[in-house]
Amino acid sequence: MLHGPDARLRLITVLLIAALLPILGQLVRLQVLEHSQYQNEAETLVSRQYSLPEAPWGVIMDRNGDLLVGNVPVYNVGAEINLITDTMMAASVLAPLLNRPEEELLATLTLTQSAQTLQWRPLTNRVPAETAQKLRELGWSWITLSPTWERYYAEGAMACHTLGFVNASGMGYGVQAFQLRFLRGDRVQRVGPVSGDTSPLPDELLNDNLTPYPGTDLRLTIDRTIQAFVEGVLDQAIVDYKAAGGTIIVMNPRTGEILAVASRPNYEPHRYPEYMEKGQESIFRDPAVSIPYEPGSVFKVITVAAAYDSGRADMNWTYNDLEKLEYGGASIRNSDGAAYGQQGLQGILDYSLNVGAATLSTQVLGADLFYKYVRAFGFGQTTGIELTGEAAGIVHLPTDWDWNDSHLATNSFGQGIAVTPLQMAVAISAVANDGVMMEPRIVLERQYADGRIVPIPARELGRPISAETAHVVAEMMAHSVEKIAKAAQVPGYRVAGKSGTAQIPTSGGYDPQQVIVSYAGFGPVPNPQVVVLVNLERPDVPAHMRWGMHIAAPVFQKVISRVLILMGVPPSDVRAAQ
Amino acid sequence: MSVVWQQKTHGVLKRQEKMQRLLARLLLGVVIITTVLAGIYLTVVASNVHTARRLWEMENQMAAVMRDNQGLMAEIARLSSIPVLQERSVALGYQPAKSIDYLYLGEP
Repeated sequence: MLHGPDARLRLITVLLIAALLPILGQLVRLQVLEHSQYQNEAETLVSRQYSLPEAPWGVIMDRNGDLLVGNVPVYNVGAEINLITDTMMAASVLAPLLNRPEEELLATLTLTQSAQTLQWRPLTNRVPAETAQKLRELGWSWITLSPTWERYYAEGAMACHTLGFVNASGMGYGVQAFQLRFLRGDRVQRVGPVSGDTSPLPDELLNDNLTPYPGTDLRLTIDRTIQAFVEGVLDQAIVDYKAAGGTIIVMNPRTGEILAVASRPNYEPHRYPEYMEKGQESIFRDPAVSIPYEPGSVFKVITVAAAYDSGRADMNWTYNDLEKLEYGGASIRNSDGAAYGQQGLQGILDYSLNVGAATLSTQVLGADLFYKYVRAFGFGQTTGIELTGEAAGIVHLPTDWDWNDSHLATNSFGQGIAVTPLQMAVAISAVANDGVMMEPRIVLERQYADGRIVPIPARELGRPISAETAHVVAEMMAHSVEKIAKAAQVPGYRVAGKSGTAQIPTSGGYDPQQVIVSYAGFGPVPNPQVVVLVNLERPDVPAHMRWGMHIAAPVFQKVISRVLILMGVPPSDVRAAQ
Repeated sequence: MSVVWQQKTHGVLKRQEKMQRLLARLLLGVVIITTVLAGIYLTVVASNVHTARRLWEMENQMAAVMRDNQGLMAEIARLSSIPVLQERSVALGYQPAKSIDYLYLGEP
């Protein structure tokens, strides 16, 4: 049949081609006709979500570079339970390490019959690096350790309201919540082809820059030493006067930098979930910026400054201080109910005369002018500080629906008007800073991971009064300290200040017993370097002692005398010699 | 005369042989070039994989160093925190100054 080699060769060729044809056909089917389907299946098989180690958040330092909030590495622990050989032993070894009951852990590690495929289960979150190391040393390949970060508060509860915290959903308090977009580190989480150990495949790594970018560091205006001292003084004052709470603010009037701000009650930021579980969220609100109060007589500084600056009252201006002043249906009396006779601006500050302040607002200034100054000093508006939850306070204006004529009289001595301690400190700082009111600042600079440093410049909020008015009012306040407020005097330094005692509003009136005592001042005079505001809430002391002059003034004295030394401000006589 | 003899005498077989040799050389050239290209491709891919693996390892190393660094920063902060410093300074016999004297140094 097949004669000769050529014929046989042709036959073999035909057979080979016949054998190759089905293969070629299959190749065409797989690579051309059903290409997309198989490609999808392949991608599904190797594509997993993978993540690179999370970059740390930016740290927070005080003005001298001391760490206030840092990061510590912690690990989330999981287990691929179908790879466990001895579940009982694993549970007994892991229970003390993970601080979980052995029975509970055993139930977690046990593979259910219905699920024989690869199963991963979380065991616990946020174990410290030491525990993670012990787990690694066990040599169990089925244990998975995912590194992440936990915030570390180097000084515990110190400056807790300022530093604040941020929870897992990005909500929080303080400067951390306000500056979250800068602080937050990058987390790379993508879906792509991965290898057996869930690390991304080469193309994935080489085609894209996956390196997580650390968050931006913040250098605050806070001085850690001053802050610690102020917190100690506040704690002592709360114990001494059995106060329910309090706030102390220390700021530089020239730049608006907050050097220290302490409030009580306070909390430990890293334990915020525990407070939330107990329903104590209200403790997170910063009394210095979020909780307005009626400032009381400290506000007379504003009224006197407004009267002088408007030109309606000078140092020769006097009025006859009678027992009371009737205005808008309100009967205004001095705190001791006495009449002080002929008095001027200095007398109003020295003796804290409600009748005098009301005379200035109602008869000298009038509503338009008075509230123009109140607004110019920043009351009823937020200051713009980089902290969450800043309140604007409450200022009733003649155009408001709830306006009452008596507001004009009572507001002049700080009643019927609500301000935050920070607003009050900022307003007083205008008097200390030649009439220029600086925006309060808590962030000094941002330090980016690439080495860039971006300083946050000081900003002027406004000039509510002239430099001349500021000097005159500062002198009056300093005179008032020298003459009346001996408890606020600082040996070697001339300081200025004003006390306040405010009743606490309740529904339908004022609490007859409870008060907020305060003292606001600055020093040294002239050329003040620091403004200090002290507030103590509901001091539980005998009624005759329940005055700002008796309680808040000594605290002010304690704070400013040490702060001036810590800031290296020489005593007034040395400054004069310079 | 047979056909083969005629082909030989007319140089037909010689031309076929020449053509076949040419084809064989061409085929060999294609095989060599393909092999070289495949080799280069495999080398590049292998190098690519190796580099990616190194990159991944370095990413992880960098993250580990970052973790160590942050942990050490926190430890330094703990050791230099105010309560620790206060305790240490008291142990060393320091106490707050009772009086501070300022000396004014005029401009030279």
